[in-house]
Amino acid sequence: MSNNNTRTETVGFKGGRNIPASPTFISRILGENGLQKWIFYLPVAFMFLFFVIPTMLTVVWSFFERTMFWMKPGFTFFSYINFFTSSRFDNFLSSIFHSSISVFICLILGFPIAVFVRRNVPQVAQHRVILLFILPFMVSEIIRTFMLRPVLGRNGLVNSVLLQIGIISDPITVILFSPLGVIIGDVLSFMPFIVFAGFLAMEAVPKYVFEVCQDLGAGKWRTMIDIIIPLAAPGIFAGSVFIFVNALGVALIPSILGGPGAVNAGLIATQAIAALDFPLAMAISAIMMVTLFGLLYVGHRLFNLTRILEPTA
Amino acid sequence: MLDEYASLLSYRLKWAYLLGIILVLMVPVFFNFYVSFNEYGFGAANYKFTLDWYFVVFDDSQLKAAFGWTMFLAAITVVLSVPAGVLTAKLFKHSERKVLIVSLMLLPLFVPSDIFASALLVFFKNLNQGFELLSNMLGNDWFYGWFELGLMTAVIGLVIYTLPYVFIVTLITMGRFHDEQTEAARDCGATGWQAFWDIEFPQIRPGIFSAASFVVILTFNEYTRTSMLKGGFDTFTTVLVSEMLNTGMSEQSYAMGGIVSFVAILVIGTIIIGTLIRSERLEKVARAKNTPGM
Repeated sequence: MSNNNTRTETVGFKGGRNIPASPTFISRILGENGLQKWIFYLPVAFMFLFFVIPTMLTVVWSFFERTMFWMKPGFTFFSYINFFTSSRFDNFLSSIFHSSISVFICLILGFPIAVFVRRNVPQVAQHRVILLFILPFMVSEIIRTFMLRPVLGRNGLVNSVLLQIGIISDPITVILFSPLGVIIGDVLSFMPFIVFAGFLAMEAVPKYVFEVCQDLGAGKWRTMIDIIIPLAAPGIFAGSVFIFVNALGVALIPSILGGPGAVNAGLIATQAIAALDFPLAMAISAIMMVTLFGLLYVGHRLFNLTRILEPTA
Repeated sequence: MLDEYASLLSYRLKWAYLLGIILVLMVPVFFNFYVSFNEYGFGAANYKFTLDWYFVVFDDSQLKAAFGWTMFLAAITVVLSVPAGVLTAKLFKHSERKVLIVSLMLLPLFVPSDIFASALLVFFKNLNQGFELLSNMLGNDWFYGWFELGLMTAVIGLVIYTLPYVFIVTLITMGRFHDEQTEAARDCGATGWQAFWDIEFPQIRPGIFSAASFVVILTFNEYTRTSMLKGGFDTFTTVLVSEMLNTGMSEQSYAMGGIVSFVAILVIGTIIIGTLIRSERLEKVARAKNTPGM
């Protein structure tokens, strides 16, 4: 990528001076300002072809007409009407509610960790502490979610421990195959992300801010609400959007922990594909994509999300 | 850094909270190991340590084939994703359109797996139909089945999934590298490739190896995209999920879960320990340089 327009290639050395090579047609095409330069754009082109185009086309496909096994070009709102006037929409609304609760719990539990690490852990050790959260995040989500069944179940680990300690006399059944089970699954699956995003945002908060707040007599809550949260807003927002959209769109968690009737947008989309209703699946995908990009756009306008990637230490 | 106003108890409580959260996040994984080593399985009154369930898994020819496919997928994804991530990180460093590149690279992280896999599945089916139409128009079968669901479509889905991680890790690693070194190499007559391979790569190598390890784990763990885009073959996680959903949690399922978790813990643990040792060494060097008289 380096600019070498002024660099002269040499082909030999004669009489104490370099002989400049005259660039041939082939070397101009294959050289560093030719094809080699465009190699750097290949991944971008790949992402454009296989990520941006399919994402945008979901909106187009959502207006297609359903056929027996596939779909045909057309312009109909049938899939949207089908979605908004059926019980799917009620389920979608309730999954929005549960996802919002999951985001709130993740924030309450996870963001203080990011603040603590930034404020109290020595600078050299901060990244190492955050690195610890990679471990649970990188163990398969399938294992972590499936294993919540024997952990939260009637005869599971939680109930066994609570019964043995004597805190409860009967097993708690509301924590599995229920909306609460889905929320627990969401929180345990996605919480590391609020720690990562929160920490990235906290890196942009200079350490002297904490000292200034203390010197001026601000209490812990006042410092958190009036100073820390506004400064870390881009990270909090990015982490919250990630958790919200994934809690709404990852089908695995409600299908394993939610029991009968528990669905989210991802599960509705995969069920529609299994029923060969591709326009409906694309309509749900389009709604999710528009929601995601809308939230990120609003977040970027409000908080300038690129600030997360520009730590000032 | 314990500030002068905070009490020691509060500081320790905060550490206990942090470690407690990590422990809670890991409880399902540890419990999986615990059950998988019990000869009598989950919920039994007695506990007897055994490795038999793991041997059962390794004796199963279907699972061995699925394991082979998973590792094959992971290898191809590493070969494609890692160079692509490095190229994009280098493009990002020198580009004026940083927001565009970072948006393109990071947005796949935000899109839920089921939603994006559905979109990509329909995209491939449409592409396939388009190519078949083209073949029919040309009167040959050159373009038939290019985007039939199979290895290639699964790899495309996995590259889109893993590329953002490689991009982030490489970008962070490259942030510590000073461009003046490659510029000096270029001024001494090195080609762009020589400057990268001989000067820059040795310094960013740990980051690139970490990124490659992440790709292996992410591919190994991935279920949704793989199951929707893979076509005819099975991977370890697709067999595991279908067993769990169809027959419930058998002792063999716990052992399979244990293997998946063990691979992830082994790789990530190695990266974490390697990073700690490396940064410790760098700090020692920095301290030695700052010591008067050295």
